[in-house]
Amino acid sequence: MFDFKNNLKDLLSKTGFSTAGIIALVVLLILPFIPPFNNEYILRWLVVGAFLAAEAVAFDLTAGFINVVNFGFAAILGLGAYTSAILTNTSPVIPVQVGLSPWLGMLIGGIIAGFAGFILGFLTLRLRGIYAAIMAWFVGIALLGIVRNIPKYTRGSLGYSPVGLLETTSNRPYFYIAILLLLVIYIVSKIIVSSKYGLAFKALGQNFDAARASGVNPTLYRVFNFTLSSFFAGILGGFYAHYFRSLTPKAVMHTSKTVEVLAIAFIGGRGSLWGGILVAFPFVFFIEYLRSALPSLPGLHMIIYGILMILVMIFYPNGVAGLIKWMKTGISRKKKYPISLSGS
Amino acid sequence: MNLKGIKMGDIRKENSTGHDMLFTGNMRIKSSKITRFKKNTAAWVAIVVTLGIAIVVGFAGGISQVFNAIIAGGMWALLAMGLAIILGVMNVPNFAHGESFMVGSYVAYFVFTPIHNYLTEHPSRFMSAVGPFIGFIMAFIAGFVLGSLIERLVFHPLRKRTKARWVMNAFLLTVGISFILSYGTNLILGPNFRGIPRYWDVKPLIILGAHMPVDRIVAFLLAMISISVFWYFLKKTKTGRAIRAVSQDEIGAELVGINIDFIHTLTFGLATALAALAGASLLFMFQAYPTVGLKPLYFAWFVVMLVGFGNVSGAIVGGFIVAFLQTATQQFMGIAWEDVIPTLVMMFILIVAPSGIFGTGVRGIQEQ
Repeated sequence: MFDFKNNLKDLLSKTGFSTAGIIALVVLLILPFIPPFNNEYILRWLVVGAFLAAEAVAFDLTAGFINVVNFGFAAILGLGAYTSAILTNTSPVIPVQVGLSPWLGMLIGGIIAGFAGFILGFLTLRLRGIYAAIMAWFVGIALLGIVRNIPKYTRGSLGYSPVGLLETTSNRPYFYIAILLLLVIYIVSKIIVSSKYGLAFKALGQNFDAARASGVNPTLYRVFNFTLSSFFAGILGGFYAHYFRSLTPKAVMHTSKTVEVLAIAFIGGRGSLWGGILVAFPFVFFIEYLRSALPSLPGLHMIIYGILMILVMIFYPNGVAGLIKWMKTGISRKKKYPISLSGS
Repeated sequence: MNLKGIKMGDIRKENSTGHDMLFTGNMRIKSSKITRFKKNTAAWVAIVVTLGIAIVVGFAGGISQVFNAIIAGGMWALLAMGLAIILGVMNVPNFAHGESFMVGSYVAYFVFTPIHNYLTEHPSRFMSAVGPFIGFIMAFIAGFVLGSLIERLVFHPLRKRTKARWVMNAFLLTVGISFILSYGTNLILGPNFRGIPRYWDVKPLIILGAHMPVDRIVAFLLAMISISVFWYFLKKTKTGRAIRAVSQDEIGAELVGINIDFIHTLTFGLATALAALAGASLLFMFQAYPTVGLKPLYFAWFVVMLVGFGNVSGAIVGGFIVAFLQTATQQFMGIAWEDVIPTLVMMFILIVAPSGIFGTGVRGIQEQ
């Protein structure tokens, strides 16, 4: 007999949803209609939260699984953003007026970014974790430099204003688009990491040589991982361009942007994918509140990111996701199998 | 120019599980004579190419450009040496090295400015000659204190807690430190630029027809002296030997009675102090502002990546190679391409020689 309930449960767990996850999603979906959140100003924070959460998932796919922190993440995202912005351009400020639909632009931006990730994956293939991170950082700085140095097409540091994704100025549709992006990225990532690919990623991340010795092909998996993560970043970049409608190399592609994502992903819990989502929303609200409450202290949120990151790294490397997992295991098994602190 | 004992890449991984030891052995076999020869070839090619660039730069931009490149090279070498030492002894890839530079430049500014103001009211030839050095010394001390504090407060607790995934965790910690320091400075002192036109108000020297400001020459000499002293310290003194011992085998060093905690704190403090000294001596070029450390950090890491994680002497030579590359980029492409061209060159080099041009057979320190 067709066991609908169990099948559904199976499908949900494969795509990475627990009961709490479903409830959270439903709450998130109706949130834009509940009074304090239906205000346009606060809706914008929600969009930013969903955007950051999606970024954190895409970032965690690389950092949490193959243990390579992609320090050029923001730059690759910016590459997607600029590609999409230039391809959809219709105004005479830059010499290219292709005027594609922003949706197509986002997709092409994702593909270009994915290609950049593919190259980056190959480039850093022979480097161990940390040197791959540094190399990705160099590539990110180079991309930033290139974008800044071709003002004819990107308007450089002057900033460039791409077309909007939608006609409307309301934030609500954008919120649902961001949530959709977040969901798609999360589900695709989850399906991949729960397949044999995820196992291979983890093996490569934990012990590169041992994984290779047991027949895991590092080229295939690392390059695939980089490509996919960068593709997501590129799509998100396109969304950024057509939602915020303002691009400057420094505001999008700078290393500090990568660190912001990194902080959220790691405080959320590396290798969990959903930890970053959980942390991103409260964080955005906290930071925006901080910004409006203490405008005289610019950059305070970066310091808080730094302090939190250090604290999490020293005292609880598994982050919030690890904490929740530990509480669950603690309740159900009374700590018979204490989880390891190694973050694996 | 080989610092025999101190092969930075050749660190036995301190690992609780012991898995990696096996594979470290495997990696070593690769550094056969053939690879060594290949690596040396890469090094020679790089040096010859650099000399070629130097000659081209000399013809195109005049001899003063060459001198500027040499001076920058001295500084990158000093910074890269600090990075290489921290990496070798503590297995910490330091992303906060640029902030040490920044702290040095701020300290030098705040120490030198009152001295300078005092001297404009009470001129004294002796004091104006010595004054800047007070700033340098204070920067060095401040750097040392800062480095020791960071080591005690951040890396020490982490090391006590877990060594799993040490390298990546330590790296991310330094990223956090770097953000706290640079944004904290921004918060306290604001984003203003604080600089001085020059340290010594004397006529520039004329060397081979090029006008060289005294400040630059002093900065270069200071870098060279610091490198030499530090090298002597590592090679000849008991403490230096202990540092090298820790970099080779931490457990072994502990067994023969070396105080590992002390060595780690000392190493981090000294490396930070050297970076702060670099920041102080270059205050006339790099004005003090919160993110001044980014470029020095980038070039120092560039040097370390370029030469491979093998040796300190490589880092010193690499400093000059990178400086000439940078100067040539400025000369022919404009200063805006300074970030781009070196990265492209680096990509090419890493494809040809993945462990760097002076790399040992070991491909960098082990992870996990």
